[in-house]
Amino acid sequence: MTSLSLIDVRKSYGATPVLDGVTLEMGDCEFIAFLGPSGSGKSTLLRIIAGLEMADSGEVWLEGKRIDALAPGGRGVALVFQQYALYPHMTVRENMAFGLRNAKVPNTEIAARITQAAQTLEIDQLLDRKPGQLSGGQRQRVAIGRAIVKEPKLFLLDEPLSNLDAALRNRTRVELAQLRQRVRAAVIMVTHDQAEAMTLADRIVVMNDRKIQQVGAPMEIYDRPANRFVARFVGSPAMTILPAQGHAASGGYAQVQLKNGTLIQTRVSTADLPDDGEIEIGLRPEHVTVTAPGSGTIDGEAVIVERLGDRTLVYARLDDGSEIVAVDRGDSSVRMGVRVGLQIDGACAHLFDADGTCHHAERDQL
Amino acid sequence: MTTAAHNNRLPLTALFGVLLGAAIMVAPLVWTLLLSLKSNSELMRDSSAAFSAPYTLENYRAILVGSDVPRWLLNSIIVSLGTTAAVLMLCSLAGYGFARLDFPFRRTLFVFVLLGLAIPEQAVILPRHQLFATLGWHNSYPGLILPGLAAPFGVFFMTQYFRAIPKDLDEAAMLDGASRLDVFWRILLPLTLPAQATLGVFTFLGSWNDYWWPLISATTSDKYTLTVGLAAAQMNYAQTSGLGFLMAQAVFASIPILIVYIIFQKQIVQAMAGAAVR
Ligand SMILES: Nc1ncnc2c1ncn2[C@@H]1O[C@H](COP(=O)(O)OP(=O)(O)OP(=O)(O)O)[C@@H](O)[C@H]1O
Ligand SMILES: [Mg+2]
Repeated sequence: MTSLSLIDVRKSYGATPVLDGVTLEMGDCEFIAFLGPSGSGKSTLLRIIAGLEMADSGEVWLEGKRIDALAPGGRGVALVFQQYALYPHMTVRENMAFGLRNAKVPNTEIAARITQAAQTLEIDQLLDRKPGQLSGGQRQRVAIGRAIVKEPKLFLLDEPLSNLDAALRNRTRVELAQLRQRVRAAVIMVTHDQAEAMTLADRIVVMNDRKIQQVGAPMEIYDRPANRFVARFVGSPAMTILPAQGHAASGGYAQVQLKNGTLIQTRVSTADLPDDGEIEIGLRPEHVTVTAPGSGTIDGEAVIVERLGDRTLVYARLDDGSEIVAVDRGDSSVRMGVRVGLQIDGACAHLFDADGTCHHAERDQL
Repeated sequence: MTTAAHNNRLPLTALFGVLLGAAIMVAPLVWTLLLSLKSNSELMRDSSAAFSAPYTLENYRAILVGSDVPRWLLNSIIVSLGTTAAVLMLCSLAGYGFARLDFPFRRTLFVFVLLGLAIPEQAVILPRHQLFATLGWHNSYPGLILPGLAAPFGVFFMTQYFRAIPKDLDEAAMLDGASRLDVFWRILLPLTLPAQATLGVFTFLGSWNDYWWPLISATTSDKYTLTVGLAAAQMNYAQTSGLGFLMAQAVFASIPILIVYIIFQKQIVQAMAGAAVR
């Protein structure tokens, strides 16, 4: 059964379009992350679903019911705000009960639901405190608790972890994942943290420039980005993209030539590629390894060396001035300023045509 | 830590200065109080008698039984409380409207309200007098209360306060199924309590101490407010009612205001320090 479906949702603020025909279908109990840079319209879309903002056109359906004309309180959705938006003058218990009272849920039922949620979230000690007496992490739990007790059909979370420090954020991320097993409902979470999206979501919706750029499972987004934007935006450090001198066919696959003449044999089928026009080649850092100068595909100068412990990231400058990110072992001896060789794994390379569409290496059909 | 604790202690000279200042300010009040406790005949002989026994509550008894003062006190309380309650209500509603609702000419209207701050009472008091005379509103409680309800500062103050409350709260409440009235009444209004207290205290004090309008509007003794009543009593140059009695009236009149000050000390200090918002 489909949970939420959006059909051609459009929105502009005055003359500025913010959402340009968003269409999306969500499965039953699915966890979807909206991922995108600041200003890409993620919050706006979330607010349209919640009913806090009116779309200019388009339809919003939830579990077979059209909801775009309903009041926010009558839609069966709960929203967890980025700043939590707890009512400061009410205790945690009253915060959680407020929505239920408005919905005329009987008092015994309210008490039961609050107890249940408080235990799940481990906030049962805090029920009689006011939000001002809670830490950031505790407030966040209360905000989630306030959503849970409403037993909504759809949870909306707007950057729920962005106000937490790194350690708490990791912990809460894990807890959210666990919570999700227990609460049977669909979830949409807005984030611009890709690690968050990758760990939590069943599918990721990458947004940019008023549009959905790609919808897919986390690894699909990572391995087979739909276009140049997604390829650059997902993955850290970002995919290196180098201009190429055109391409030739070799055994049905494209062979591209870098600016300095180096040939790279890819596994991208030439059948999909346009015959002419600019071509760019995209390489994830893990597909470029550091070797001795002269022994790799191409040489460069190490400009930044980032030691991460288990591996070392080397940002190398090629002779034509372009930069490429490569990985080396954790105990790499590469220092800044030295010349290094770079072994490029062409079989994993992506190619981008002139309008930014990404062409992927053919998967092994072993 | 140690420096902070140290800084909290005033140097001795400063402490002495503050004490001296306080003594100078308190002196007339103490003198007033002492005078009010003396019988008139003694004061006629020697006004410095105030500083020695015997003291008596005779003057206060006279106020309570034989004078118009209790009546004026009641009038003042009715007018001040009425004004305060109405101002709080109107300013809260207007503040909510300006801060949260979108309606045509909102900004223009707000500027218009602010312009009200620039109009001195002197400029409008004559037409107001005539208007009230025509409507037959003089010598009535509404006549004393209504002019105080035009409170541009209160509207401005409450608007700013409502604006400082994050809109997320309204939206969270709406998602919780609250109506607009619920949001106003159960979420936002309780959060403006500090502002209500500040505005309430200032409105109350302003109304309590107002002299000019009640002087014009209330012409019969039974509608006098305390300020007007006491002033009228002082006009009695013959001093037949006596210095002690006059002072007792002054003390008596200041009791309600003293109570207000004591209860709302925190709000008053905060407002004076300009820290009322936030
Ligand atoms: N009330 C508004 N009036 C005018 N423009 C707005 C309004 N709200 C949002 N916008 C614009 O709409 C665009 C999308 O905003 P939105 O808040 O949806 O972005 P976002 O993807 O959530 O960004 P972030 O990651 O920074 O939260 C932005 O360019 C923003 O300036
Ligand atoms: Mg946002």
